[in-house]
Amino acid sequence: MPDVTVSNDPSRKSFDLHLASRVLLLVFVCLLMNCGVNNVVIDGSFPTPNISKLPLSVAVYYDAALRDFAYMEYSETGTEEFNIQSGQSHLRLFNAVLPAMFEQVVELNEMEEAKTRQVDAVFMPLIEEFQLALPSKTKLGVYEVWIKYNMRLVTPEGDYIADWVLTSYGKTPTDTFLSAEAGINEAAVVALRDLASSFSLTFSQVPEVRDWLASL
Amino acid sequence: MNINLYFSGIKLAAVSLLAMLVACTSTTVDEFRQGETGIESDESVVVLGRRQASDYETRADFVQCVGDRMSRGENAINVIPEQEFIDAMFPWFEPRTAPLRTRDLEQLMAEDVVARKMSEFGIRYIVWVDGFKETTDRQGTISCTIGPGGGGCFGFGTWEDDANFDARVWDVSSLTNVGTINTDATGQSYLPALVVPIPLIARVEANACNRLATQLKQFVIGS
Repeated sequence: MPDVTVSNDPSRKSFDLHLASRVLLLVFVCLLMNCGVNNVVIDGSFPTPNISKLPLSVAVYYDAALRDFAYMEYSETGTEEFNIQSGQSHLRLFNAVLPAMFEQVVELNEMEEAKTRQVDAVFMPLIEEFQLALPSKTKLGVYEVWIKYNMRLVTPEGDYIADWVLTSYGKTPTDTFLSAEAGINEAAVVALRDLASSFSLTFSQVPEVRDWLASL
Repeated sequence: MNINLYFSGIKLAAVSLLAMLVACTSTTVDEFRQGETGIESDESVVVLGRRQASDYETRADFVQCVGDRMSRGENAINVIPEQEFIDAMFPWFEPRTAPLRTRDLEQLMAEDVVARKMSEFGIRYIVWVDGFKETTDRQGTISCTIGPGGGGCFGFGTWEDDANFDARVWDVSSLTNVGTINTDATGQSYLPALVVPIPLIARVEANACNRLATQLKQFVIGS
């Protein structure tokens, strides 16, 4: 049975009330000012592309920068506003797209594994830039996400095959969603689908990739 | 008992007045036919929204509304849901890759995977819906106050809503544009506030959807 002590000291009671009112005031101000950063973990489903497979065995290596990719959007006053975590959704996207593009796809935990996996090439995607446009700042009725990628294709030994830039864009109207988080998520999912469509349809047309495919 | 009847009468009058005010929308439909149409019972239609414009995009719920209304009632047509079609056709009907002209569709149908999927769905017509709703001429002011004894609003606001949508119909069997239907719905919305604001919204989008779906259904059937 725990001991319960009741303080009858009037000054102590006054102090407790004062503290409680300050905490309540802080909570109220925080609610009004929307204190703290809003975490948005991008979540969406990505269909498998309906395209002809290339007769290649390709390994894919996702480095930590892509796996843990997060973008911080700051408010106009410089405070942290939205922390957008899209690393895992990128992995899910590539894991849906690559098996539809190539005969065989293996995921590498370490780049050194490539030499022993009997693959034709290693694919290494990287996010170079992420931009978010909020309707509260642009005064347009859409959430917009723009992502710039660096796509790299190397031999299992690590020699250069191709290195190209790809951009993706997604937007979604504000009036469809109840919250900013849902709007940002949807715009990012549209951008990821845009990446998947342009990557899968233009891969063979990248000049270095085209030359490499011709040399096989 | 008499008091109940009195209040029921007031409620009825208020609802009638609201209905009169809400129904204050006018819709114009223009049809431009470029080819013969007709559809078999085993064929279907897909209604897709255009999303290439930088400053607006056709709302998915409007596209869904048109599709739903085409697939209901008399002479119902089999309509494939937009998202189901786009996902099944991925990546060929995304905003950046979707065909803009029938010539592009011809090239797309040369892809075996696309032609096979189209055949699986039994798509005879693709309807491209392009447009948006715009709010203009906002007038009036409403002020709200809140105090220890309660709160309330007072004032009057009004604005005009305009929903303008184009629907282009592509015949997948002949790979041609067989016609265009334009729907323009305008209406005045009101927001009087006497303690409580009462929104009287012009349902321009709903009216545009109804009229466009009805016209599209007749157009596709070929009556």
